[in-house]
Amino acid sequence: MRISCKWLSDYVDAPAAEELARLLTGVGLEVEAVERLGAELTGVVAARVVASEKHPNAEKLSVTRIDAGGPDPLQIVCGAKNYQVGDVVPLATIGTVLPGGMRIERAKLRGVESFGMLCSAKELGIDADASGLLILPRDAKPGTPVADVLGLADVVLEVNVTPNRPDALSHVGIAREVAALLGKPLRLPQPKLDERGAPASDAVRVRIEAPDRCARYAARVVEGVRIGPSPGWLARRLEACGVRSISNVVDVTNFVLLELGHPLHAFDLDRVAGHEIVVRTARPGERMTTLDGKERALDPEDLLIADRDRGSALAGVMGGGDSEISAGTTRVLIESAWFSPAGIRRTSRRHQLRSEASFRFERGADPGAVIPALNRCAELLAELAGGAVRPGIVDANPRPFTPGKVRLAWTRPAEVLGAPVELATTRRILGGLGFVEASADEQGATFEVPSWRVDIAHEEDLIEEICRTQGYDAIPERLPAASVEPPAPAPDRVALTRVRDALEAAGFSETVTFSFVSPADVEAVEPGARPIALANPISADLAVMRTSLVGSLLRSVAHDRRQGLDSARVYEIASVYRPRTDGARNPPADERRRICGVLAGRRSPVSWGVSGDPVDFYDAKASVEAVLAAIGVGDSRVEIDRATTWLHPRSAGAVLLADGTRVGALGEIHPRTAAAFSLPRGVFAFELEVGPLVSAMELVAKYRPVPRLPALLRDLAVVVSDRVRAADVLAAVRTEPLVEDVTLFDVYTGPPIPAGKKNLAMAISYRAADRTLTDAEADAAHARILERLRTDPAVAAELRA
Amino acid sequence: MADLIGQLEALAASARASIVSADGERALEDLRVRYLGKKGELSAVLRGMGQLTPEERPRVGEVANRVRDEVEAMLAQARARLEQVKLDAELAGPPIDVTLPGRQLLPRGHRHPITRAMEDIAAIFAGLGYEVTSGPEIELDWYNFDALNVLPDHPARDMQDTFYVAEETLGAREARGERDAATGQVLLRTHTSPVQIRSMQRAGKPPVRIICPGRVYRSDYDQTHSPMFHQIEGLCVDTGITFADLKGTLAAFARGFFGPSTRTRFRPSYFPFVEPGAEVDVSCAICGGAGSREGRRCGTCKGSGWLEVLGAGMVHPTVLRNVGFDPSSCTGFAFGFGVERMAMLRHGIDDLRLFFENDLRFLAQF
Repeated sequence: MRISCKWLSDYVDAPAAEELARLLTGVGLEVEAVERLGAELTGVVAARVVASEKHPNAEKLSVTRIDAGGPDPLQIVCGAKNYQVGDVVPLATIGTVLPGGMRIERAKLRGVESFGMLCSAKELGIDADASGLLILPRDAKPGTPVADVLGLADVVLEVNVTPNRPDALSHVGIAREVAALLGKPLRLPQPKLDERGAPASDAVRVRIEAPDRCARYAARVVEGVRIGPSPGWLARRLEACGVRSISNVVDVTNFVLLELGHPLHAFDLDRVAGHEIVVRTARPGERMTTLDGKERALDPEDLLIADRDRGSALAGVMGGGDSEISAGTTRVLIESAWFSPAGIRRTSRRHQLRSEASFRFERGADPGAVIPALNRCAELLAELAGGAVRPGIVDANPRPFTPGKVRLAWTRPAEVLGAPVELATTRRILGGLGFVEASADEQGATFEVPSWRVDIAHEEDLIEEICRTQGYDAIPERLPAASVEPPAPAPDRVALTRVRDALEAAGFSETVTFSFVSPADVEAVEPGARPIALANPISADLAVMRTSLVGSLLRSVAHDRRQGLDSARVYEIASVYRPRTDGARNPPADERRRICGVLAGRRSPVSWGVSGDPVDFYDAKASVEAVLAAIGVGDSRVEIDRATTWLHPRSAGAVLLADGTRVGALGEIHPRTAAAFSLPRGVFAFELEVGPLVSAMELVAKYRPVPRLPALLRDLAVVVSDRVRAADVLAAVRTEPLVEDVTLFDVYTGPPIPAGKKNLAMAISYRAADRTLTDAEADAAHARILERLRTDPAVAAELRA
Repeated sequence: MADLIGQLEALAASARASIVSADGERALEDLRVRYLGKKGELSAVLRGMGQLTPEERPRVGEVANRVRDEVEAMLAQARARLEQVKLDAELAGPPIDVTLPGRQLLPRGHRHPITRAMEDIAAIFAGLGYEVTSGPEIELDWYNFDALNVLPDHPARDMQDTFYVAEETLGAREARGERDAATGQVLLRTHTSPVQIRSMQRAGKPPVRIICPGRVYRSDYDQTHSPMFHQIEGLCVDTGITFADLKGTLAAFARGFFGPSTRTRFRPSYFPFVEPGAEVDVSCAICGGAGSREGRRCGTCKGSGWLEVLGAGMVHPTVLRNVGFDPSSCTGFAFGFGVERMAMLRHGIDDLRLFFENDLRFLAQF
């Protein structure tokens, strides 16, 4: 809401703009900006032409002497002819930058020096007239800023009025607040009407068919109106508030809206069929053309202002084209009504139609302003458009307003605020704001709520009034008493912090990507998935809720590649979303947190002394192992995975817990998926579900005795078919009870190993818990393992010579 | 006998001279073989022992042992000397290039600055006795709006541009027999405030003291708005909780996050789920609240010295009633703020979009 300080001063003696801004912000009416109107004319002053003679070297120029309020007249060269000596005209002094961007400098024109420029209305940006100098009133004192002479100087406050305070959406509303805060008198407009002719009720009838939606409809009739432009002061006030001046009649309704906050509507009474106003809901199939030229199909819930035949306005939202004020209008019907907020809001939303009127009605107009606004409008119409006001108000008031009552216990403000509040303070503040103490006793009082404060319904609302008026600085700072046992950190949060640490130690950087993605990205990762979609996405790229984090991270890696960063390790911990399958609705979707990582490019950065090998499956696996180790998920294994759509079928692993629970997958990105994200082959990823990991984790490690007796080490190399799985070989080794640990330290294929075979080299450590092993015992165990590897059909090993 | 002893003495004298002048390991080894080896000079001398009398043998043996010990000691000493020379030479050699970069096997990755901010904020509140909770991001409008005193036709719904979920993509609910009573529209939560409701419902009765960091969504996308961003919600409900407690809590938080000299300022404002409501400013983290730096207007706080960072207030009695709490026996406060703004102020980041672009050159700075 734009508030003109000049306009405001009609109603209250307010402090200067900066102080006023501070005051309003301090009570919850935040001033977001202070704008100085007329500032663009800084440097342009009123100046009297003292003398004027022809330029010695130019036909069309004159050399003038100008009194600009200084001790000596100035010499100015001028091209205009429309002035006389003695006229007062605008002078742009040296250094001025005109609204068009022209900078005034000392200049020599055809050999004659000029110390400024005399301006036309166009050069000042206030009118299109460029035919000559703007002639100012002769009584303007030379040296006075032109903005002051023209009444352009004003300060406008941009007030952010929160939705609960529709009463502050007007100059009187703000003035009322200022008057209450400063204890100053409020000067409300007192309309004086010279009513003439036959009663208004002879000219129009009003009927409300939907009293739940329209509690009151009051109308006046003004006749003999002459449509024309508004006077300058009115146009300027509207423009200061960002409202375009249209014609005197329309401008007057807008003026009253900005003055009192109450929306009005003006109809051409001669175009109201049957001279009858009916407030009713729309009929099935009814259509209407609104002022913006759009024909609208109406909903049976839309409230209309209709005449005998058809709708002439969407009530409280926008007028209709049929009854619009036009150049030929002479009889005006002024509407001042009170509509219920919810209905206005629904109509406004349904038709995507917002207006100054709907904005106020849906927040709650002041029922007490219906008649004052109507009278004020009639007064101004008579004054500015030459109309005659017919006697009387045609007033349908089926639901007379009764003020709300709220009880306040005297002790309650202090209990809520945590600071003492004097009874006298409570009374002074509430009284100042217009609350009337209807009844009082020892414990408290019942206050009658002023009609404009539609936001006040509870005791807490009154406490807020006290609190905001007093200022929050009056309340001390304190910490709540520790009546709550400090909670233990949630295990999943501890776990995820550890996972982040582990992944970062493994070279991964964390990303945060949008939860919504394009349907194509979902399709590229999980063909056939049916993601949850947004009804009103911001763009097609952000239209569905992701079902996997993989696509988002692939996008991120693709972004980095475009920036020339080919190697990347990134991770994200976030939710994925799927429809629920159990039919339940609270919460509405199946949300699961996941940990996802993507690896691309080299294993180590390009640097001296490290290999530049590309990452592979086993780097991804090491990352998964690091995650599991960080949260104490001990027994897990990776098996061949055939279920994950975004993985290369030959390089896909499912991560299983000891009990077989699947917690995720890892491997190389499927070539089709990689291509969809413009990525090359050889990008690897893993994605793990947080839920089952949290169930399986052991955040506190269990102690096992440290071995004190020596171990015996033996190496073992076996040649097996290259289809034999390492896990089977290692499992076979571990069947020997004396084996404490086995490390696979080499996997080799190629000569001299025959084709189709591979050599596995292992270091085995043997240890007994209760004695020192002898070489003979270790050798015997070693031999048993070898025999086992040879005979186990899953291994069928040969001992390598 | 005297002859043999003379030979031993001569051997010792010769060894003394040659060992001292030996110039390398190799020469020393040769000398050891020459004097002490199986076919060496000492062995040769001792072969003459056979001609001695039993009385003479111990005396000659004694001399021979002394000579052997002496030669061995000289050899050891000479070896030590040579090692020292070698070590001295090595130590005196040119240094390695200590300026070569450290080996980059796997440089550490980086925490996202938003996570970092959320962890730090959560730690401050954990210290104040707050439990860290979470709630669904795809929410029922009852939790996101109605329960928070934002009724369907309330203009406050316009304060937040809401993403709604296409109902038909939520799965066939009727297919199953049981359907819970929850109705209404499904949306992406526009704030973390629905977690207030869920937390109070879960607790069943006061006290409740929680914070909830998480993702929120609003249909607004430009230079200063992201359709997804992060908030932290806080809620404290108990008997006798006052606005003074709210002020103290947020002041403590601001000092913990922005530094001990940070000041806070409360201004009246409006959020439907609190009353009284406030916007909370902290003294500008960049200019320290002065409004200017090095004589120039501070761009971060636009010269005001204050930054608007938080919304807060006393929990509206309607909200308490909505979860079955009795507003006559308990009060509470709630607050909420944007994590991105906190992280931007803290690190001096000037473009919100950087957080979600995830450029590694950005991430690597934190």
